[in-house]
Amino acid sequence: MGRSRSPLLRVFLSVPVGYLLAFVGFPVVYNLVASVQKVTVGNIADLVRPFVGLDNYVQVLADPAFRKVLVNSLVFVSVNVVAQVGIGLAVALFFAQRFAGAHWMRGALLAGWMLPALVVGALWKWIFATQYGLANYALQSLSLAIAPVHWLSDPAVSLISVIVANVWFGMPFSMILIAAGLTGIPQELYEAAALDGAGAVSRFRFITLPALGPTLLAVACLVTIYTMRAFDLIFAMTEGGPLDSSNVLPVMSYQFSFQRFQFGPGAAVGTFAFVIVFAVALLYVRTLGREAST
Amino acid sequence: MLTRLLSVVAALVLSASAASAEPKTVTLWHVFNLDTDMIHGGIKAFNASQSEYRVEPRILPGPQIAAELIKSIAAGSVPDLVTLDNPVVASFSAEGTLTDLTDRVGKSEAVKAGVYLPGPWASILWQGHMYGVPRDANTIALYYNADMFRAKGLDPDKPPRTWAELRAAAEKLRDPAKGVYGFGFCATQSDEGVFQWLPFLYQNGGAIDKLDQPEAAEALQFWVDLVKNDLVTRDVLNMRQYEVANTFMAGGTAMVLGGPWELPRMQTEAKFDWRLALMPIKDDAKNIRASSLGGYDYVIPKGAKEIEGAFRFIEFMSRADILKEGWKTGRLPPRTDIEVPDPQWRQAYEMYHEQVKTARARGPHPQWPDISRAMQTAIQEALVGAKPAGPALKDAADKIKPILVKTPL
Repeated sequence: MGRSRSPLLRVFLSVPVGYLLAFVGFPVVYNLVASVQKVTVGNIADLVRPFVGLDNYVQVLADPAFRKVLVNSLVFVSVNVVAQVGIGLAVALFFAQRFAGAHWMRGALLAGWMLPALVVGALWKWIFATQYGLANYALQSLSLAIAPVHWLSDPAVSLISVIVANVWFGMPFSMILIAAGLTGIPQELYEAAALDGAGAVSRFRFITLPALGPTLLAVACLVTIYTMRAFDLIFAMTEGGPLDSSNVLPVMSYQFSFQRFQFGPGAAVGTFAFVIVFAVALLYVRTLGREAST
Repeated sequence: MLTRLLSVVAALVLSASAASAEPKTVTLWHVFNLDTDMIHGGIKAFNASQSEYRVEPRILPGPQIAAELIKSIAAGSVPDLVTLDNPVVASFSAEGTLTDLTDRVGKSEAVKAGVYLPGPWASILWQGHMYGVPRDANTIALYYNADMFRAKGLDPDKPPRTWAELRAAAEKLRDPAKGVYGFGFCATQSDEGVFQWLPFLYQNGGAIDKLDQPEAAEALQFWVDLVKNDLVTRDVLNMRQYEVANTFMAGGTAMVLGGPWELPRMQTEAKFDWRLALMPIKDDAKNIRASSLGGYDYVIPKGAKEIEGAFRFIEFMSRADILKEGWKTGRLPPRTDIEVPDPQWRQAYEMYHEQVKTARARGPHPQWPDISRAMQTAIQEALVGAKPAGPALKDAADKIKPILVKTPL
């Protein structure tokens, strides 16, 4: 296979590269530039604004809420990845069994994922209401709780509540991708292992998991990127409150820019989110490259 | 042949001149999605009454309109007319992004400075110039469930008049067996929570630039005690005003703070004898009547194409007959010279009409969102029990001081 690049190839490549530069590269650069400027409602239309160096970053880092928000984001993302991939894997394995209605039920699970995030947020806000919500009603009927849990108004619990809602929301996505990965594993491997006397757990450990390795990594990276961006659901459920206990980087960036009209700090918060996602994406691409070369 | 050519040319010329007489489009962005709001009838009537301008509306969700305006300013293509929530107008006017309307108002017959309520008028001023025209005014008052009052032995014709009476009534009305809370208010981490707490601050003689004084701490402690004693649910930390009103309409809360914008829904959803009362004063010693001012202002962004058309529409919407229509969705005229004859929800109208006279504007201050956020944090810290009311407000005062030093209230 020749390594020479024909001029026609360059022409074809320039289209996606141009698209990426314009719609992905430009906003990132714009955000980076805005994060070192003093940007107000008055000068937002301009490109050249007063340069303030790292003042915006200093302001953000000094904000006591920011530390909470950064930790929240990291906790929110890691728990979501583990839960969504773990539960997605379990559900995908379950539906891989042949039983009546398996395909139909798997499709029905996807319905939750197709709802707009704002609707899911509103739905879970209703479920988690202290007085009249379904969650407390269920807990009290099953005698699992003495007093009603303040799912969304207790700072100690609100992050857990938004995590639960987001896991419910995103798990079908992981499940479908993992289910697709499962179909790629040849049945003969399982038959051979069963003949050799391997039990279900051994078959899972030594056949399924290694074969699913790349798929699981890909799903984990995608879920990381999606949950780093999670905005609508949290905004609808708690707006990041109470006291920023369920606040995450995208919501904080929005609050700085569009509620407090401080676009510089808003851009700085956005940069933090970008760096984290960039690092994860880099790891993913590197690992993919290593997988492909083995 | 020649006559045919001439008639074609004549037809073209005539159609061209008719095209030049086509009305100029005035783009209006507003937030009023109830179809009985005065703005819908107003737009139709304005468009029908003249052929020079044609208003084309676009409805946006309330919490998003400021963000959309910012995006349009950034893109360099602004609408001609926008309705903004009154406390954020100063953030836009102080940055020079709104058209100065001082001269137009000076010459106007329909919009005269002297007739507006002081709160709404203050919200459109910046350094002595006018950057908008108030559209409507509202405030909060006390909704109470008269049926529940009767059931618990309270006189529904004598609603709570003071903070102590409010507390006592809430204690009597609280019914844990039925899941009914005595009182409810909004305490979210947003301007809505501050909006509902400010009347208590003012009624105790406090002020936003004096949050480290005992008057402020007492006003917040009143709320803290209500939540601590389970008279108010902790969920108020996460309930917006309309959600608090929902619990009232569903019979889950006996008394709530709310505005007249709830009235259209109250009429259909609340299946009991609901009434309004003025905000209770602190006590007879501190007899200060106060509430928070809400309402929207018309603003014309800088760089709008049809400033004249937009202002004509503002003047049209400022007509007395149109402003009286505003009450159909619970919007009071922002003026002292207009009363609504034979209003819907008469008892509510009388209460709100009286209350709005003592409603105080938030700001105007270009950094109102930051001032508000400092107070939001203090209110939530105290309600959650993270800090006592005094220290929480002292922290808020420390955050607000540098902002006010730069630009006084």
